[in-house]
Amino acid sequence: MKRLQDVEHHETEDLYYPTMCKVTGAKQITEMEKWYELEMPEGQSLGHGPGQFVEVSAFGIGEAPISISSSPSKNGKFELCIRQVGTLTNVLKNYETGDMMGIRGPFGKGFPMEKLFGKDILVVAGGIGLVPLRSLINYVLDNRKDFGRLIILYGAKTPSELLFTDELETWKDRDDVELHVTVDQPDETWKGNTGVITTLIPSLDLKLNTTIAAITGPPVMYKFVVMSLKSKQLPDDQIYLSLERRMKCGVGKCGHCQINGVYCCQDGPVFNYVDIKPLEEAL
Amino acid sequence: MECFSLLRSDVPALIDHLRDFGEVIAPHGKGDVSYSFEVVRDSSDVVLDYNRTLLPLKKMFLPPVEKLMGFSLKNESFEQVEVAIAPRVFFGVHSYEMQSILRLDHSMLSGSAESNYFKRRQSSRFLGISFEPDEFHFSESVGIVIEEMEGFDLFLNEVDGDFQLYVLTDNGQEMLNGFDKINLTEPEIVEGRHFKKKIRYHYNRLPRVFQYAYHSDVWADVASRCVGCGACTLTCPTCFCFDVHDHVEVTAEDGMRQRSWDSCMLSTFAEVAGGENFREKTINRTRHRLFRKFKYITDEEGLPWCVGCGRCTAFCPAGISMPDIVNELIQEDEKAQYHRTVRV
Repeated sequence: MKRLQDVEHHETEDLYYPTMCKVTGAKQITEMEKWYELEMPEGQSLGHGPGQFVEVSAFGIGEAPISISSSPSKNGKFELCIRQVGTLTNVLKNYETGDMMGIRGPFGKGFPMEKLFGKDILVVAGGIGLVPLRSLINYVLDNRKDFGRLIILYGAKTPSELLFTDELETWKDRDDVELHVTVDQPDETWKGNTGVITTLIPSLDLKLNTTIAAITGPPVMYKFVVMSLKSKQLPDDQIYLSLERRMKCGVGKCGHCQINGVYCCQDGPVFNYVDIKPLEEAL
Repeated sequence: MECFSLLRSDVPALIDHLRDFGEVIAPHGKGDVSYSFEVVRDSSDVVLDYNRTLLPLKKMFLPPVEKLMGFSLKNESFEQVEVAIAPRVFFGVHSYEMQSILRLDHSMLSGSAESNYFKRRQSSRFLGISFEPDEFHFSESVGIVIEEMEGFDLFLNEVDGDFQLYVLTDNGQEMLNGFDKINLTEPEIVEGRHFKKKIRYHYNRLPRVFQYAYHSDVWADVASRCVGCGACTLTCPTCFCFDVHDHVEVTAEDGMRQRSWDSCMLSTFAEVAGGENFREKTINRTRHRLFRKFKYITDEEGLPWCVGCGRCTAFCPAGISMPDIVNELIQEDEKAQYHRTVRV
């Protein structure tokens, strides 16, 4: 048990003050989602890893946890992509280049990159789940020779909800990326796969001993994706999932993000499947 | 450790003497039946015999509402808040309450050590006092006896209406310098103070009970009675969950970011934007509260995170009793063991 006398004053932190970051780029990329590029003050670097998140704040409205969407290999600036779904995010909608956004973080555990080096990476992104996984994807692409295959499964509800469509085109054209996109509800122009994301899994030819799966999507998706991967015989400990919870403080105090006894903001949001399998509240 | 005798009639003089070391905070009567930790203005107002305060002492270290920063909407900037480091003496604190502060220390200072909490906690001294357990106290069942002195600098143990004053730390010794109404004496063991409420098992057997309790029928029964008001967690001395809100002045130019106590028993506690609620049902929330007290942190730290103050039970409008829930889980576990061993 940590005791007061074990703590020196200089070891304590002002945990709740944001760093004011300048918006250097902003673009509404779908009806619901806006992309932002931000710059830390005085040339600082955010210093994040793929899969980590920040607390974004607008004074007078509040704070919310938001995934970092850019690769750490992108120097100087970082990117967010925010769905307009709550009070804060509907205010952030109005933020444009030159505005200042409050940022705390990065927080939590991202993907354990040291365990991913040399492996085939299977990315499974459902909807807005592509946002944190884009950080991983671009990290792999920026360090392409350090990884094996890069297989990306991406599912959206409709074609108009597909995120980062320019990048999807680039990934599709690359020989070293295997991209499979599907939509649940196609429109008349859609020529690709239709159906939920799990329909993309059975036909995959995976090398079971070298494949690491990275999954992010809406809460309902995880169970089904895990089941599909298990039926492909992918071992549990090669599956990583990034979970959404109400990570209010980001520093393991406020209690909102708890999954049973685990703080999602500290031990997650990226978890190895083995670690969350015993947690009844996880999936 | 030295022990002194002190007459009950001289306690106000001791309180006045302690005021030289900082603001003294002590239990005061509030209305006819309630008590509250308040700053002492007149030492004769301090209550020596009380069952429990409505709000726990944590309110002095983790205030119910706390300003985290001020901000200007116009300038998109914020200003930091200075947390005053003023020496404070907490007088007349029960053993379970002190133990709750030691647990809060762990919660707020492990991992990221919070400066706000640390500053308030750092310059505090504590004088404990014995108490007569009522029908709600059960701290002995979680390993905290009436005379548990860990964390205190001084401790007053009532003996035949007067007190024995134990000096437990150098700070305690220092606080008595120049106070002449005490006489060195031999410590006595007080008999006859008994806890009326008990958990049937020793607390070191509870982790095993909780290991099998997740799918117990007890939770549905508790949930059917719970009104979801959150009083149990707001009066709990070891609960530390909070929410953060921005408050804007009517001028719409300035405001402040505040945090306030929150409760995992409230229905929207685990809800995220978009409407997904990760602990939607009362049954999930009642179970979570008990697991927070007896399993999750306990597995790591070896101690129950419940200190047996009895507040959650005494102040529950639905009469839900924490120790009764635990005893029901024990009973259920015993039945399950019977069925596991007796093969038909």
